[in-house]
Amino acid sequence: MMAAQMSHARRGLEADLKNNSPLVVIQQFVRDRGLPDPSQFKQLSQDLALPEAQVRGAISFYSDLHQSSDATRICIGTSCVLAGAKDLFAAAGRRTACRGVYCVGFCDRSPAALRSDGRVVALNGHASVDPLLDLSSPEPTRPAISSIAKQTIVTRRIGRGDFSGLADARADGAYETLAKVRRMRPESVISAVEQAGERGRGGAAFPTGTKWRRCAEVVSDSKYIVANGDEGDPGSFIDRVLMEDDPHSILEGMAICGHAVGARKGIVYVRSEYPRAMERVKAAIEAATAAGLLEGFTPYIVPGMGSYVCGEETAMLNAIEGVRGEVRLRPPYPVVEGLFGKPTVVDNVETLVNVPWILEHGPAEYAALGTKASPGTKALCLNHGFAKPGVLEIEFGRSLRNVIERDAGGGAHGKRLEAVLIGGPMGSVALPSQWDAPICYQAMAQRNLNLGHGGLVAVLEGTNIRELFLHWLEFMAEESCGKCVPCRLGSRRALEVAQTLGAAQSLPQLERLFDVMAHGSLCAFGQQMPGPMSEMLKYFGDRALE
Amino acid sequence: MTIQTATIDDRSVSFRQGETILQAARRSSIDIPTLCYHPDLSPEGGCRICLVETDRHGRLHAACHAPLQPGMEIRTHSARIDSLRREILSLYLSDYPADTFHPSKDGTELERLMHRLGVQSSELGGASDHVPADESHPYLRFYRSLCINCRRCLHACDEIQGQFVYGLAGRGSSTHLIFGPSQRFADSPCVSCGSCVDHCPTGAITDIDRIGARPPDTIVQSTCGYCGVGCRLEIEVSGSRVARIRGAPLAQVNHGHLCVKGRYAHSYHHSPDRLTAPLLRTKSGWREIAWPEAISWLSRRLLELRDRFGPQALGAFTSSRSTNEAAYLLQKLFRTRIGTNNVDCCARVCHSSTALALQTVTGTGAATASYADIPLARNIVLAGANATEAHPVVGALIKQAVLSGSSLIVVDPRRIELAEYAHVHLRPKPGTNVPLFNAIAKILIEKNLIDESYVQSRTEGFAGLKDFLSRLSLAQGSEVTGIDEEEISKAAFLLAKNGPALFISGLGLSELTQGTASVMALCNLGMLTGSIGKPGAGMLPLRGQNNVQGNADMGGMPNQVTGYLSLTDPKVRGRLEQLWGTAPPPEAGLTISEMLDSAVNGKIKALWMQGEDVAQSDPNQAHVVEALKALELLVVQEMFFSETARFAHLVLPAAGVFEQEGTFTNGERRIQLVRPAVPPPGGARADWEVIRDVANAMGAHWPQETSSDVMDEIARVAPNLFGGVSYTRLEPDGLQWPCPSASHPGTATVHADGFLRGKGRLVALDFVPSPEHSQDGYPFLLITGRALEHYNVGTMTRRTPNSTLLPADFLEIHAADAARLHIKDGQTVQLRSRWGSTQAPAHVTERVSPGTLFLTFHFPETHTNVLTSPYVDPQSKCPEYKVTAVAIAPVGDAAN
Repeated sequence: MMAAQMSHARRGLEADLKNNSPLVVIQQFVRDRGLPDPSQFKQLSQDLALPEAQVRGAISFYSDLHQSSDATRICIGTSCVLAGAKDLFAAAGRRTACRGVYCVGFCDRSPAALRSDGRVVALNGHASVDPLLDLSSPEPTRPAISSIAKQTIVTRRIGRGDFSGLADARADGAYETLAKVRRMRPESVISAVEQAGERGRGGAAFPTGTKWRRCAEVVSDSKYIVANGDEGDPGSFIDRVLMEDDPHSILEGMAICGHAVGARKGIVYVRSEYPRAMERVKAAIEAATAAGLLEGFTPYIVPGMGSYVCGEETAMLNAIEGVRGEVRLRPPYPVVEGLFGKPTVVDNVETLVNVPWILEHGPAEYAALGTKASPGTKALCLNHGFAKPGVLEIEFGRSLRNVIERDAGGGAHGKRLEAVLIGGPMGSVALPSQWDAPICYQAMAQRNLNLGHGGLVAVLEGTNIRELFLHWLEFMAEESCGKCVPCRLGSRRALEVAQTLGAAQSLPQLERLFDVMAHGSLCAFGQQMPGPMSEMLKYFGDRALE
Repeated sequence: MTIQTATIDDRSVSFRQGETILQAARRSSIDIPTLCYHPDLSPEGGCRICLVETDRHGRLHAACHAPLQPGMEIRTHSARIDSLRREILSLYLSDYPADTFHPSKDGTELERLMHRLGVQSSELGGASDHVPADESHPYLRFYRSLCINCRRCLHACDEIQGQFVYGLAGRGSSTHLIFGPSQRFADSPCVSCGSCVDHCPTGAITDIDRIGARPPDTIVQSTCGYCGVGCRLEIEVSGSRVARIRGAPLAQVNHGHLCVKGRYAHSYHHSPDRLTAPLLRTKSGWREIAWPEAISWLSRRLLELRDRFGPQALGAFTSSRSTNEAAYLLQKLFRTRIGTNNVDCCARVCHSSTALALQTVTGTGAATASYADIPLARNIVLAGANATEAHPVVGALIKQAVLSGSSLIVVDPRRIELAEYAHVHLRPKPGTNVPLFNAIAKILIEKNLIDESYVQSRTEGFAGLKDFLSRLSLAQGSEVTGIDEEEISKAAFLLAKNGPALFISGLGLSELTQGTASVMALCNLGMLTGSIGKPGAGMLPLRGQNNVQGNADMGGMPNQVTGYLSLTDPKVRGRLEQLWGTAPPPEAGLTISEMLDSAVNGKIKALWMQGEDVAQSDPNQAHVVEALKALELLVVQEMFFSETARFAHLVLPAAGVFEQEGTFTNGERRIQLVRPAVPPPGGARADWEVIRDVANAMGAHWPQETSSDVMDEIARVAPNLFGGVSYTRLEPDGLQWPCPSASHPGTATVHADGFLRGKGRLVALDFVPSPEHSQDGYPFLLITGRALEHYNVGTMTRRTPNSTLLPADFLEIHAADAARLHIKDGQTVQLRSRWGSTQAPAHVTERVSPGTLFLTFHFPETHTNVLTSPYVDPQSKCPEYKVTAVAIAPVGDAAN
């Protein structure tokens, strides 16, 4: 059978990621010369070893490649929408070039925007345009970061400040575990991660050690480690903070993984909505490489180009290869045939930050934390709707109620919480009656709750549920990659139905459409997004539809 | 490979690991509906129509790409799945105006699916309007309003043709199909192979002339009449006209794939200027005569001239375009009824060097490998062949092989399309293949990169070759060829790295004064790397014409009889006497160029030319015309009144490839059936019938009623090669000779168990430059060749819409040369050689190197061959079309 998973045209051709990550070449072209005309496509196509139609298709796929790079990016992620971002977007659009983006990662101080000069303005509840245009607006500070876990793992450095500088990081022990691991047999490293029981933090919760072992078992002339820094779920911002303030833990985790599975090359994929994270990771790679700390392992940085779906691992691989960020069919799984057709481990940034700790302290100490099904700790993100927004590291097993009512202090300004949105648009809507669930992948799954990446967004009393519902439908229709029909057309039809039909007519139509999407779609995006929307219909009924 | 079992719809199904649910189900005749899936293509997984349920939890899998797992319990139908499928199909329909698709049992694939699932329309969406169809291309229409973005066209284009025309733009619900960088289909990089048409389930991409047409009355399977690839066709016939052609889906040669010529360029058959009656030259001009008169006039005239001037004053050119049966009978007529071996065919002017070289070193003058070896190859050398244009279906196979991991070394002065896919592209100065291959051989030997046991056990002449090469210097080889030593070395190491290699060659090797030596030098590489006689490897010359292989096989050559039999071997002569009643004279006859020369000097008085337009296609045109004018009798069998026909005394109207029965032999020695699909126009007749009638009028008693009878005789004449060949065995995929007996399956790989001549011969080859290589005042070296859209002198393709795709010949010139000579793109350029001059529009490019030019030869206005020299390869007598010293100058102002 033909394995046409990767772009057939460039099969076997590995791009030179150092100088020519293909999408960066295209972006540079567009910035310098505007959108290519038919004759220019030919040259681009030859430079990239990609067919003209694929180059053109990629440009039209990625927002950053065909939308203005001079525009202010107004965050229209869930948290910001609840803070009035829609009106802000409309108002700002009358005064300056704007485009909406799904989440710039400042949910603790919504609404927020990313100016074309790369500076973020977080309005913290005041949806007014003036500060966006005011060049003297201060850069937002780091979010509040705290840990109530027995052992602080994920936030062990970011909780204490900025460790992006190599000297600071090394003074705090960065790369010491890597040095130790280098002396271990790869098999022992994999076993340790397996015994620790870590699960992927990006949302799918796949056992990390199992993934590494499968990749290690494949014989290949080259392999890749990809750090997924495309934190797209509105409501989460932990990955942003990790990449900004503790990039060396990520690189150390990648290098350990590389040693374990036999990969010598890595990619940190950072979304373009996080320009500071991009700078910090880039600087960290340069510093660590120059210091010879990554010897034998070469990480590159590849920027995202504005597509939510590229957080999905196979779509991300396509983005790195320079083609449209559509999901691939699985199998083959990336551990067997991933980037450029080579075995590839794709791990979330937070997942990788756990890794040096596991190998430093040993798997037993890690496994002793949390629950049996979900060992370790989890960094939760609390948005501005809570009394105490910020990053909170907990041990798995703590109840949602404790987190929401005690740790987060309930709703902001003493407002009652109607529900909490967990894990972004592919997560869950949790009503107060469900909050006794422990935060644990398995226990939550049994209650039809999905932790996702661990972002919590407060739905305060009086929230415009219809606006939220339509926001999610728009998000889905705009970010669907377009590969499978249930998601490609179902999302658009659902939005049209919700916008145009009355509640009585639209409810049965939406239920049918959500059913087809949830059961027919190719990837988790299409399969899981209808979940919280169905829950919203169930819990809020007409408030969502009228 | 382990066999495992699972259950599908309560039936136990065994399967190979890796098989998808759909594959296993279809193999077990369990039907799962699909839409974006096609068995020729990799699964897309986008339509989700093929969802099935597994196990007790009712988990859903897309059958087209989910692998079947041991113990799985699959349900392909349930109320839930059926409802999901209907909902999905409704979603598709929701994106189109309500009247777009109609459920129907015999509509398009989508409409059949609607019918089957009981889906009429969708309640949702449907607001968009129809957009006008894109009819910018002469053969293909794209109608966006019918496109459901299933991407089958994209997979077909990527995975079959390898042209990568299609892509997708936008995302989410605005995702839509695009073609290349262009808005109009005609501006896309499409090469019109038609694969997308065959794979489109909705009619969004269609053959432009089939829109709304009724289904054909009949469909006839036959063999393509263009190049030597020999694609199998399905000819759709409406009334007495060819309505459409498609590739025969299961054919071993082309698996349903075709090119722009084979698929689309067929309307010449129904051209109003077809010849329909014999034409006799009279003092008052051409006179149409009836066949009986033509036959008796011709037979009398032939006998008369034989008696007056002797048998050696007569000769025949058999045709590589016509059938084996026609070629066989014409050479038999001249050898037995006239008594001369003055029989030759156009293989002389193309691959005679290849055939001679291969015969000399291996024992057979034909490909040792098959096209089926291309997908198996791990290591391909493509030398002097622009396969994607001249042999497009094979070109596509090579491209796919490289995309699937084979290495590719291209040897070509031009940066041809496949050079873009090559790991090493060697660009020798035209006509310097011998020193290049010698240099590679030297590196292979001196760096111990050869297959020693193969060389020792299966070849002879190694010591001599080694000694000869040890005295050559790489520096000199580099200087003569113009290629860096390092590049040559890189090629040698790559060649040695991946084991036996498949050497695919073309006329860029053979149409040179060192043609035979070039091919022998390539064969040296084939033997040093242990490649000849192994699967996925060997020598695979690409034959130019549909039946050029067969023509030589049938004895269309002056020195050998049918089946390459010796004229002097007493056993052969005995058999011929028995079968033919008389043996031909033992002395070899004249080649094409010798016959033409002899016509000029009065020794040849009569020529019979079967479908060959020598006045346009042979080199040194002035000389050819002089020869034709000098003849007492020129008989031409032709479909059209060609350049050559103007000089004829009798013109016989010939049936075309779709109008007669017979066989063609393709470049991999595969004898395939040609079947009549439509009647010939007017009085046009199959060549072989006319020859038989003339022979019988000359007193022979040839009994054949059908072309099949002729093949039976051929099998008896040359039993070693054709003994097992009979029409009853030729469908669907023909037989590859040698096929010595009725139970023999034919031969895909020749020399598998040892060379037919005993040992493979390694030959030390001195390089003798062409006289054209250093001509003062003629600073450019001109290569002539073909473009995708046209076939040779364009007799057929110029009479089709291919002329819209490429309306004129063109001259490729390097940008630096063009700038120096102030030649602009599109500007007319005057070319002058020592032999003649012509004009052509410049195409400024970097496909050719500085100092090199390339000119196509498809249009009579250009008469490219007025430029080419009279020089021929001293061994094969093949003319040197590929190297001519020319001077150029711009004419007038640049065109727009």
